Amino acid sequence: MNLGIKNPFVKVVFYAILAIWGISVLYPLLWTLLDALKDNQQFFFHAPWALPDFPLLWSNFSYVWNKYNFDSYFINSIVVTGGSTFLGLLLSASTAYVLARYKFKGSNALYLLYISSMMVPFILALIPLFFLMNSMHLINTKIGLIFVYASSVIAFGVFVLVGFFKSLPKELEEASIMDGASLYGTFFRVMLPLSQPGLVTVGIVNVLNIWNEYIVGTILINDPKQYTLPVEIGVMQAEMQYRTEWGPLFAALLMTIIPVLIVYIVFQRRIASGITAGAVK
Amino acid sequence: MVINKKMAALGLAAAMTIVPLAGCGSNNNSSGASESPSTSPSPSASAPASESASPSPSESAVKLTGDFEIQYFVGGYGDKWWKKVIADFAAANPGLNVKESGGPKINEQNKPRWIGGNPPDFVYIDGPNLNDRQMVEDGQLEDLTDWLKDAKNIDGDKILDILAQQPQQYDGKIYNIPLVLNSWGVFWDKALFSEKGYGEPTDFQSFLGTAEKVKADGITPFIHTGKYPYYINGAILYPAIVSNNNDDYTVLQDMAANKVEAYQSPAVLAALNQIVELRDKGFIDKASIQINHTDSQMLFLQHKDAFIPNGLWLPNEMAKDVPNGFDFGFIPSITQKPGGKVVANTSTATVAIAKNGKNKEAAKAFLQFVFSKAQASQWAELSGAPSNIKGDISSSNAPSFVKDAAKYLTDPNTIVIPTITFNADVDTEMQNATDALTIGKITPEEWVKRVVAVVEKVK
Amino acid sequence: MKAVSEKWQRNLFIGTFIVPTLVFFCIFTIYPVIQALYYSMFDWSGMSDKKEFIGFDNFKDMFKDPIIWRAIGNDYFLVAGKIVGIMLLATFFAVALTRFNFKLAGFFRSIFFIPNVISVVVIGVLWNFIYNPQIGFLNAFLSLFTEDKVTITWLGFTSHTIWMLLPPAVWAGIGFYMILLIAAIQNIPDSYFEAAELEGANQWTQFKSITVPLIWEQMKVSIINIMMTTLNGSFVIVWIMTEGGPDNSTQVMGSYLYQMAFRQYHFGFAAAIGVLILVLSLVTTVIMQRLLHQETVEMS
Repeated sequence: MNLGIKNPFVKVVFYAILAIWGISVLYPLLWTLLDALKDNQQFFFHAPWALPDFPLLWSNFSYVWNKYNFDSYFINSIVVTGGSTFLGLLLSASTAYVLARYKFKGSNALYLLYISSMMVPFILALIPLFFLMNSMHLINTKIGLIFVYASSVIAFGVFVLVGFFKSLPKELEEASIMDGASLYGTFFRVMLPLSQPGLVTVGIVNVLNIWNEYIVGTILINDPKQYTLPVEIGVMQAEMQYRTEWGPLFAALLMTIIPVLIVYIVFQRRIASGITAGAVK
Repeated sequence: MVINKKMAALGLAAAMTIVPLAGCGSNNNSSGASESPSTSPSPSASAPASESASPSPSESAVKLTGDFEIQYFVGGYGDKWWKKVIADFAAANPGLNVKESGGPKINEQNKPRWIGGNPPDFVYIDGPNLNDRQMVEDGQLEDLTDWLKDAKNIDGDKILDILAQQPQQYDGKIYNIPLVLNSWGVFWDKALFSEKGYGEPTDFQSFLGTAEKVKADGITPFIHTGKYPYYINGAILYPAIVSNNNDDYTVLQDMAANKVEAYQSPAVLAALNQIVELRDKGFIDKASIQINHTDSQMLFLQHKDAFIPNGLWLPNEMAKDVPNGFDFGFIPSITQKPGGKVVANTSTATVAIAKNGKNKEAAKAFLQFVFSKAQASQWAELSGAPSNIKGDISSSNAPSFVKDAAKYLTDPNTIVIPTITFNADVDTEMQNATDALTIGKITPEEWVKRVVAVVEKVK
Repeated sequence: MKAVSEKWQRNLFIGTFIVPTLVFFCIFTIYPVIQALYYSMFDWSGMSDKKEFIGFDNFKDMFKDPIIWRAIGNDYFLVAGKIVGIMLLATFFAVALTRFNFKLAGFFRSIFFIPNVISVVVIGVLWNFIYNPQIGFLNAFLSLFTEDKVTITWLGFTSHTIWMLLPPAVWAGIGFYMILLIAAIQNIPDSYFEAAELEGANQWTQFKSITVPLIWEQMKVSIINIMMTTLNGSFVIVWIMTEGGPDNSTQVMGSYLYQMAFRQYHFGFAAAIGVLILVLSLVTTVIMQRLLHQETVEMS
């Protein structure tokens, strides 16, 4: 049983710290919403925390929605994030399983290769990557972006999932093999479902990273039809430098935040337990 | 609330055309003997449809086909003109599949394609991250020297003859043609100045006097775009160097040619000391250092600051946010001695053809299409900025800043500096060093030392 | 016979599970990285056909470049600041939200993670508005307490501007590590704490002698992870907020790499910076593993 704090003063202090941090997290969201309803004059002559004047400028939202094709960027982002997360999981789970369960020549070296690659700054690979994608005709395609993202998450997946598979009892596999299941069958029907928490961890972390990824997207995609959301936000932000539109900028920020926020609220427990599973091993 | 900006633009455009721009037009002696131009002057459109007023005398010899891609940066001038001219060009060439990649980040976005040898066919060189000198050095741009020698536009005018400012030459060769002409300078609000009785600046002395008064009234005299210090360099430092060099702008050209002596000349130091004077008198808004152009421009429009160094696109760029009654005043330079000549540092945005482009014929035809008088006025109308083509249409109800600009630029006493592009490393170092100077981190001597170190390195 | 075919089957299984991933990984990750290492030996603008092999000259130039030293300093400042800031707060929150029976613990836990789901691009834009000298939140707030309007240029100090990038970085990073540590704490059997309680150990003693040693493994992982993600990824927030300025005072290695490659056309040199980041993060990881490992031994 957790026992709580007896000293009321300490308790108040703790609550205060938690509350302050809570405000620092929630207030920017509220602030974004309020600022999305203002025009430029209000930005200048009113305090930053002032409520927007009436009439509220909901038109900032429709302006952003109509002027920039946000719907198709959502779809692009969903396709790319979903595709690369799935592919990345498949590729890393298979290798991680073998590395966790089988010893063979070079297995340690292979593990080290993946782990050490996590320390390689990805920005280093950008231009060569472009040449490569260009020669494979994968520039400006979602599939190209999916390949690159999937590859970029393999190492992390292997790292977490090897630990996870190792923590699973061997008896289950042995029983499955005894029952006459093939090695493949054992993996897909027994081990994979068991490793669901680990897969969720990796999946969630990857979804968040890929959804918000900006640099690779900017380099590999220059066809506006194929933009993902962060790329579009980057473009918008750059355009704002020439067309001061703070209200619409905040509206756009909010519209990018809201989907992830909804996903987070809905899958909150899964996310928390996902991270948990990965970390505790 | 916004006074007619279009008209303003037109007026300015008109004014600019009369400007006899110094320091150019000597391209006939370059490029040595060469064979006949690679392309016939007019492989152009069958008929440049609706828009262009005069009928094209050059009937189409070649029908353009295939894909043709245009890259254009979208900044203060917007993209209305590009949309229009591309639509017109496409209509005039139904066999051609015209593609456009434009946007405020297009220079960064398309960079990998230039690297990968798969660039768009035609490029408008403007905005950050695209440096014409570097592109030439990298062999990315098509050598237009021979072609341009007697290339005519769709109206039959010789292109070189209708340019206000001639193309820059790299070892006697021409790779890009200036499309837009801009002058750097300092803006203020005439309405505010007459209301408060501030004197409009004509030289450094009067500028300091006004700044003193402004400051006493609680308005910060001077704001600049510290996040992008090329604004203060272009509008203050470079003209100041020329003024301090007895109005001889070759010092800047020597600097661009990476000559160390030019950087060490007393004129540079004197110019830097003028910035130091502004700094030490507390005239420079402390916010400057961290803000970008829109933020600094907004502060200026809100009368938080009296002066701002900027380019002629400013009124158009901020059109939506200009308060009622705001009346732009403009002078190309403020650092000259009393009675000294005004120095106008011009900058052009150019267009060029990619060396690795796949449809150079179409690109050349597009050049001929673009450099016509009809498009020039259209540029002025849709982009609110002067184009580099002489013969714009005229208009009389231009606001005062346009008239000011025109007055200065047409005045034979004005020193007009032709566009100068510095080496990217040197440029970056000069920008950073100026920033450091404005916040008192370094002295003018250290500015010179730092920049010279970089010049030595790139040489 | 059977043994042989079993062995063969086993190898086939290993092969089908290892090879596709490896091939994919080699093409899209290893190959570009090796190419980049190769480019670091060249004087190449990135756009030109001309590539000149210059051996290690890029690295020699680098050590003479004062900006690179500042960038390294800034990077390690961020690493240190983030480790201290994030670990202190994340550990505090994790303990407070698990051990102290707070009524709103679940709620706090949920909202504290929110910054982690927001894109860095968005965070950078938001914090730029907080720091804006004229219309920003921070100055307006401070002005409430002063007579004159506060106009501090938070992102424009002559030095130490990098300090201002620490709050957004910490703010954005806490949630993930907090969740990680919460999980670790929840994994500690309650009986440990009950026993300590019976012996009269107070919360602080319990924290010191039970919680920390038992979640040390996760703390270690967190610290190393913060270090690595900072060295490899801090440039995004730098780039969005200051572009490395003013006068390179907030430059980190990653942003300088980007600046050199895409703004100043020195791709070879930029690739060399990438190699430097690689080497430094490897070396730092090894050193940290050592340091943190020894401490575990001392603890237990």
